[in-house]
Amino acid sequence: MRDVIVIGAGPAGLAGAIASASFGLKVTVIDEFIKPGGRLIGQLHQEPSGEWWNGIKESERLHQEAKTLSVDIRCGVSVYNLEKDDDLWNVHTSIGTLTAPYVLVATGAAEYPIPLPGWTLPGVMSIGAAQVMTNVHRVEVGKKGIIIGANILAFAILNELQLAGIHVDRIVLPEKNPLSGKAGEPEEVMKSLLNAAHLAPSPLLRMGSRFMKNGSFRKIGMKFYPKNGVKVNGTPLLLRKAAIEIIGTEQVEGVRVADTDENGNIIPGSEKIYEADFVCIAGGLYPLAELVAVSGCPFQYIPELGGHVPHHSEMMETPLEGLFVAGNITGIESGKIAMAQGTTAGYAIAKHAGKDGAAIDKQLQEAVQNVRSVREQAAIQFNPEIDSGRRKMSELWESLYSKNTRENSQIKIG
Amino acid sequence: MNNNEAIVVCRCEEVTYGALRFTAEEHQCTARELKLRTRAGMGFCGGRTCRIPLDRIIENVVSNISQGDTPLKYQPPIRPVTFGTVGEKND
Amino acid sequence: MTRIINHPILGKLEDRKAVPFTFDGKTYEAFENETIAAALLANGIRKLRVHEDSGTPRGFYCNIGHCMECRVTVNDHANVRACLTVVEKNMVIESGKQHPNIVKRMVEQQ
Repeated sequence: MRDVIVIGAGPAGLAGAIASASFGLKVTVIDEFIKPGGRLIGQLHQEPSGEWWNGIKESERLHQEAKTLSVDIRCGVSVYNLEKDDDLWNVHTSIGTLTAPYVLVATGAAEYPIPLPGWTLPGVMSIGAAQVMTNVHRVEVGKKGIIIGANILAFAILNELQLAGIHVDRIVLPEKNPLSGKAGEPEEVMKSLLNAAHLAPSPLLRMGSRFMKNGSFRKIGMKFYPKNGVKVNGTPLLLRKAAIEIIGTEQVEGVRVADTDENGNIIPGSEKIYEADFVCIAGGLYPLAELVAVSGCPFQYIPELGGHVPHHSEMMETPLEGLFVAGNITGIESGKIAMAQGTTAGYAIAKHAGKDGAAIDKQLQEAVQNVRSVREQAAIQFNPEIDSGRRKMSELWESLYSKNTRENSQIKIG
Repeated sequence: MNNNEAIVVCRCEEVTYGALRFTAEEHQCTARELKLRTRAGMGFCGGRTCRIPLDRIIENVVSNISQGDTPLKYQPPIRPVTFGTVGEKND
Repeated sequence: MTRIINHPILGKLEDRKAVPFTFDGKTYEAFENETIAAALLANGIRKLRVHEDSGTPRGFYCNIGHCMECRVTVNDHANVRACLTVVEKNMVIESGKQHPNIVKRMVEQQ
């Protein structure tokens, strides 16, 4: 008899499996990808301390630890439905239906697309696709590329492409229209980049950040933004240029780009074609919640967390008995937060499963505290207003389910 | 801006921005109705790629809808499965 | 395209066994445990299918199984995601083709 099914073998899922299994629960982890690690296996960046965060090593470590605890990990398995009858959850997968009293959904995030003319051509890919091809499969995505969209994720992956020797020619914005939203507005883009200026890739961004946080300075800043851009590790970031079309017949051949004014409006007659054999679209991430949505769990739209997120407590419980969530499905943050949340969820499951005693309470409490402290130290904060988003969710949980929570678990956190 | 009308929003069914905006304006419809009328989001990927742009179009065109109002409605199966797979129970 | 053999942080790519497969009748080589999408890209192939109806060319887009754009036919199984499927020895892979649409063609000719 299986106690827990974890859906998603990324940092949250593996950490959750390890925590549950450490209390003697029998755990199965399912993942659609060919190997465990989720998006962690693509990650590679230098910490402010100078140390490298190597996602492949981290996921190998988690995988080993899970194996030592006899966690059953099944890759290449897709889950297409999740529902409960009586006391058991049914997880419907491409290899049949698996059942367990506890399910941890850790499906992570998906990327916002930015539709533009020519984006269906071979050679156009989401920025995350380029990351996986480069760091996981170790295949060059092309000889010369253009990134459309400027955000923290794009910069992180730009850096990874450069490390692998891939030439990224320039970063431009998408054309301003209802489909691109804020990603096409230079000032909005600048605002979101400045909030992450502590990891700013260029001295100009870093120095300017204090001034630019002020609205009127920012307007002036955008007005005089250098035409040739600001270099990000050698790649020009062009906030005053917009991609209006990706060109090619059988595959990408280039991008038609126009100059824009400080508000992102196209300056007529300024169009130019830049050659490229690959294009990355960087629209940012949103919580991939579809599986929890089909289970009937209620959701809340919290823009600070990246979109619709399932109602959940700080102990990663959802209002549905036996259903837990962790990682980016609860809000877009770093892999380290996902791990800390996964650990919390794993202990919370052990607690619900009747593992009593002082040990579980203490570990659960420490795990919740750890999520908070990792958040405070976070180097990559994808969404700068994350704290306010997290607060909204915990207030919502308090108001809707706090009675429930007290019944279900006796410990108080905080 | 004319160029934008031809943007393929739903890649699976090749539904353009122009067609979607026109339909949304004409019928002042919900996301569900927009999908049924145009087939956008009803193709092979189940709307995983274009769902959010579709919601954006509705929010832009239909009055009294703001971001996040579009209900988060998903239906199983959320991955394409063969008839052979559905209904089998082998645990 | 080629493979990224040397990497300053991730290290040198270890030697792996070569695995032959065919794509649209031509023979190529993948490495063991490589996905179809990665192996084809390493062989310079981006186009994995055409849109069933319009015939526009498509390649992988998300590379992690969400978008379904990279679907190909593998050993006669249709709609297999190239980004999530590992190449096996002598695998027969076919690109996705345009479906005949007689009514549409007739309308176009009018």
